[in-house]
Formats: sequence, structure tokens, C-alpha cells
Amino acid sequence: MGLQRDTDHRMKGAPGAKVRWTKRVREHKFAYMLVLPTLIFMMMVHLLPMIQGIWMSLLNLNQFTLAKYLKAPFVGLSNYWGLLFDTDNPVRQGLNFAVRNTAIYAVVVTVGVMVMGLLMAILMNRDFPGRGIARTAMLLPWVIPSYVVGVLWGFMWQQNGVINYLLVDVLHLMHDKPFWLMGPNTIWAIIIPTIWRGWPFLMVIFLAGLQTIPDDIYEAATIDGAHKLRQFWHITLPMLKPIIAVQLLFQIINNVYSYNIVSTMFGNGAGYPGEWGDLLMTALTRQSFGYWAFGSGSAASLMLMVAMLMVVGVWYRTFRTELNAQ
Amino acid sequence: MRKTAMASAALLAALSLAASGCGGNNNADNQASGSDNNAKGTNAPAATSTADTSAKTNDDPVTLTAWIMPNSPKPDADFLKTIDPYLKEHPNVKVKVTVLDWGSAWTKVTTAATSGEGPDLLQLGSTWVPAVASMGGIDKLNDKVADVGGAEAFLPAIWNTTSISGQEDVYGVPWFVDARAIYYRTDAFEQAGVDAASAFKDWDSFKAALEKVNGVTVGGKKMAALGLPGKNDWNVVHNIFPWIWAAGGNVLADDNKTVTFNDDKGLEGVMYYTSLAQEGLVDKASLEKNSSQIESDFGDGNSAVIISGPWLAKNFNTPKANGGMDDKAAAKNFAVAPLPAGPGGQYTFVGGSDLTVFSGSKHKDATWELIKYLSSEEAQKAYADISGQLPSKLSVLNAADMDVNMKAFAEATKYGRSYPSIPQWGPTETALQKHFANIWDIVAGVKGDYNKDSIQKEMDSAAAEVKAIVNQ
Repeated sequence: MGLQRDTDHRMKGAPGAKVRWTKRVREHKFAYMLVLPTLIFMMMVHLLPMIQGIWMSLLNLNQFTLAKYLKAPFVGLSNYWGLLFDTDNPVRQGLNFAVRNTAIYAVVVTVGVMVMGLLMAILMNRDFPGRGIARTAMLLPWVIPSYVVGVLWGFMWQQNGVINYLLVDVLHLMHDKPFWLMGPNTIWAIIIPTIWRGWPFLMVIFLAGLQTIPDDIYEAATIDGAHKLRQFWHITLPMLKPIIAVQLLFQIINNVYSYNIVSTMFGNGAGYPGEWGDLLMTALTRQSFGYWAFGSGSAASLMLMVAMLMVVGVWYRTFRTELNAQ
Repeated sequence: MRKTAMASAALLAALSLAASGCGGNNNADNQASGSDNNAKGTNAPAATSTADTSAKTNDDPVTLTAWIMPNSPKPDADFLKTIDPYLKEHPNVKVKVTVLDWGSAWTKVTTAATSGEGPDLLQLGSTWVPAVASMGGIDKLNDKVADVGGAEAFLPAIWNTTSISGQEDVYGVPWFVDARAIYYRTDAFEQAGVDAASAFKDWDSFKAALEKVNGVTVGGKKMAALGLPGKNDWNVVHNIFPWIWAAGGNVLADDNKTVTFNDDKGLEGVMYYTSLAQEGLVDKASLEKNSSQIESDFGDGNSAVIISGPWLAKNFNTPKANGGMDDKAAAKNFAVAPLPAGPGGQYTFVGGSDLTVFSGSKHKDATWELIKYLSSEEAQKAYADISGQLPSKLSVLNAADMDVNMKAFAEATKYGRSYPSIPQWGPTETALQKHFANIWDIVAGVKGDYNKDSIQKEMDSAAAEVKAIVNQ
């Protein structure tokens, strides 16, 4: 409502921006007053901590200066310098592995949950007896807290656990029981549970999207002789593209910032996930809280944030047309 | 319009996730200040009703806030039960207990230390005392510790943790002791024909005994000789250091600046301990497990020997209904022995907790009175009985009426050694944990070949990191 009237003003050619702003506030005083508390709250919980984080990244904030907190010695960009170029920097140690693992993890999990979610959404969109129950049952992994997922899969992945039992003793897919929670296999031990927990959410979103596609388009396509796969390729996918675009971004961001499952799977946060299990978030937590190097930790987090903003930029350029098509 | 809305929504999402990701600090701060508020809430009325000085007179009402860790199955109730006689005698004193968990305790304690808003009585893990003391978070107790008997009254290894190495000031009073000793299955040793009396004498006899007992079948179950956790454990560092010490190595030289654990002796200790796993005396599946899984494996009869703390003996005496393991096969057939002596001596890990007076407390005298009570023989005995931890006071630790397992632990503490009492120990342990975890990967065969060179290389990179930390 307010949006509509604003555009009206603009069309009439409101004078200077300043006048328009004050006038708008005056005209919708009540509405703005209603929004104000939320605005202040959002500033407090989002903006202020962020500014504080940026400030902290410029300080030499460690256990010896912690008592001074934000008044700790100012060191400019040396935290950033240390992370990028100083190979002896303790916070930097092991970050290479974490960057590599996070890249693999984020890409595989994102693709995995989206493909799985879409496939299951299409299946669940068909009419069959017991569909309601099936849909609800599919949501189960998603309602399990990620903490529990980590602990449960941590048990299942053990060398004499149920997964090796299935793979080796029942299905005979492998000769020897491999280690999953140590060594290179660790990356799969964290990817698979994340996909397992993540896809039902995508299924729900895609299911909602599928139901907005009118049936008559499919009917027309069927009359024209298009088979199911063509229909999927030329109708379903393009119609879902805006949803896919948004979910893609959310998944990438979510997975890059993933923490819980990995943290709980290895000694409940105390253990080191290993060179193939350490993600950026677990590494940053350990390297900044574990080493009490809060300045460097903030600097590393901020660099990660900038990198993610660049990902968002690339994403926006890629999907601009789809996002504006609506 | 749509375009900007979508773009800004995406940006906002990215920013807020980034903020919550990078703002881990802030999150934790918020949590901590959340519980601060709790503490404040209970502090406030007491603070207003009793003036600062009036706490000195003994009968003004005072409410003390105590922050403790989950030391026992019902931490808050068990603590209150221990101090119940004191509270009965001092009806004006009320104690509000807040139980922190080890995972978040550090953040809460440092937040309290830096903000000045916190408890009156503060339990600190023994390796935390120097760090919190150097932040100014806890009071010096130099002129007070004579009240509780001073250094001579407590186990030396734990008393060392109450001050910063190389300094005179005392910041805490040892509360209880955590130590490691060997648990072994008496029935398995008997069946394998191993004399337990000589088995744990030194490294050679220990390995020979393990080789003999390996694969013995008790109650229809084939046992591995030894159960030990690898990298996915809370105690990775505590598990390895006794062997480094016994080989004659140490974490740091006496100057507390020179890193020495990666020297030849340190390597020898690590090689001996890991060789037990390498030479088939350990079920390799256990290398993925944590201490409590190893303990329950021992309980189930999957291994004949493990290394654990005093709580396990308590656990074997606790009925299953109360969360104990008295129904397990091992519960009736185990005994406790000290860790074997190596070429450099006989050592075991000793840690525990100290009681401190929080510097922001408004009731310091009343807090000290409570600490005095908790250090009394009566309270030391009561808390040890309830919690299964070892008392820190020698007169109680060596008392004749202790049960046989606790006596064995009291014996083991004679070989006890604690880490250097330096403010940087927390970060040091984090670094060690990471590199020792890599060593376990090598032992398990999933990260290159197991040999002296590969282990030495990992210990050297651990030493480089520790060097940077202790010299900062």
C-alpha cells in the first residue's frame, strides 16, 4: 500500500529527495512508528555486532588484552596481513585444509540436496494413496536437530558401526571395513548426513513451486506430443527457475557456514575433525576461541564475509533475468 | 522495484548469516551475558540488602553465587548436599549454584572476568587458573591460604596449578583431583596367566603382559588387550603426555619458553604409546572412539586394560537405574594400578579443579569462608564420595578408610604431574590436540606411513605452533 503511493509521488515528479523523504515520513507517520522498534532492534542485533566485529579485526585482541576488550591495542591491518602472508600465524595454520574442505562440502551438499529435493518433490507431486503420510514421513530427517544428526551419524560411521556392517557384511560392496571418522573418508562422513538432513526442506519448497505451475500447460504439451522428460526440461525447470535461484544461494551460504554436524560428530566439539573433516567454521572457532586470538579470528571471519558477498554478486549477475522476470 | 527488493533481500540474508557466522564472538557474549543476567538477578537483591562491609559480620543475610562445572551426576544438588552442614550452621548464608558446561564455560568465565559481572565463588579447571589470574578475574589469596593448611596440606601436583609458574602469588585452593590410572580385568589376567603384581612395573613388563592377555576369551568374549581412544576425544593430550613424561620428556623446559616435547625422549614416549596400537594390542576400531565409549567397551568386556580416571570406579559401583554400570561384566572383575614406569621415571596425568574468589564479588569474606569449609576434611570426604573425584587434601586422600580402588588412585597420584602453569596453556592444549589427532591418523594408517620420521614431523609442527603461542 505504502509502496504504491510512493511510486505515485515519484511519478508526479516530487521535488528534491530530502523533501520527498520528510514528506513521506510525515504522511505515513503511524506506519513508520510501527516499524521503528523493529528497525532499532535489527540495528542492535545485526549492525552493531558487525561494526564491533570489524573494529575487533583491527585490534590485537588476545587473552592478555581481553580485559581491555574494545580498547585493546590498535594494530591496523596486521591481523589481515598475518592471515594472508604469515605462514607462522597460528590462526592461519590449517585454514588451507578448511578452505578446500568447505569448497568441496558446499558444492556437493548444495547440488545433492537440490537434486534430491527436486526429484522427491516431483515424485510427491503425483497422486498416489498415502501421499500425505509419505510427505510427512519424508520430513523426518529435517526435524531432527543437527546436533543429534551429528551424534547419531558419529555412531553409525564407526568402524564397527552399522554403516560398515551394511556395506561390508550385508551388501559385500567392500572387502575391509574402512575408517570413516579418520583420514580422507571424513569428507564423506560429513557430506552425507548433511544432505540426508537437508533435502526434505528443498522438497517442500519445490513442491510448493510445482503446485503453482498450471496443469493446462502440461495438458497442452501432452497434446503437442511432448513426453515427460521434455515436459520436465521445457516446462517444469524454467517455471521453477526463480525458486531454484533463490534456494541455490541460500544453500551455498548455509553450507559454507555449516558447523553443527561436524562439530558434534568428532568428540562433541572437543576433537579435531581432521585434515579432511575440518570446515571453515569449525576451524575458525577452534583457531580463534581455542587460541584466544579474537582479533585474528574477527579478521578471518570478515574476509570470509567479503568472499561470500562476492559469491552473492556472481549469483545475482547469473540469475538477474530470472529474478526480474516475475 | 522488485529487482532491488530481491537483491536487497539476498544481500540481507548473506549479511545476517555472515554476521552470525563471524559474530560467533558476539553470540557467545550474548549467551554469556544472558547467564550473567541470571546471576545478576540473584545478586542484586543481596547486594542491595547487605552493604559491602556488612558481609564481614557473620550473621547478616548473604546470598552467594557459585559457578561450578558438572563434576558429578547431579552437579547442583550434589554441591548443595556437600555444603548443607555449613549452611545449617550459618542460616544467614544462602548459596545459589549455577552449573556451567565445560564446552561454554571458558567463554562465560572470560566474559565475567572482563566485565566484572560474575559469581562470588568460581570453580576453575586447574589449567585455567593462570589465564584467568592474568586477566585479573580472580583474587590473590596469598595471606589466606594458611587458613586451609597451605601448600603442605595438598597434593603437590595440584597445588602447583594455583599459581602462575615462576610467581609467588596464589590464586586458588585445590578442590578435587583428576588422575589417570590403569583399569584391568582381573579375570582376564588370571586366565592368561599374567601376574598383575609385576605386570605394571615398567614399559617392558606392561607390553609383555598386554601381549599375553591379547585375545583371551572371557565369558565367551574375545578381548583386545588394550582399549584406547584416538583423535575423537576430549583427552587426546592427557592420554599422550604421561608417556612423554615417562620417557623423560616434558612439554616445556624449566624456563617455560623453550619447547621440548618434540625431542628424542618425547618422541620415544609417543612411539611407545602408539606402538601398542600399531602392534595389534588394540582393536583399531577403538581409535575412532572417545573416552566414554572406550569405558563402556571395557565394561562390556571388549578390552582387558584401559586407562581412565577415578570416576569409572565410582561408575562401576553405581546401580544401572542411577545411570551407573554395576551390571556390566567388568564391574565385579576389575582392579586399578598406576601407569608403568618408563626409562625416564613413573608419571601420570594429574588435573582437577581449583576454587577461586571472583574479583568482582561483593561478598569476598563470605566466599572465603565457604571455600574454607569446602577444603575441610569433612567436605573433602563428602564431595569425593558423591562425585567420584579424588580429594585434593592429602589427609583425606591418604586416609585409611578409603575404598580399595580410591586407595589405588591415591597411590597413582604420587606419580602425578600437571602441565606447566602458564597463562597460555589453553591455546597450547588446542594446538597439541590438533597435531596429536594427526598422529592418531598416522597410527590408524589413513595418513601416510607410520614410522619415527612421520611422527617426528608431526611433533615438530606441533612444537612450532606451541612455540609461537608460549612466546606471544
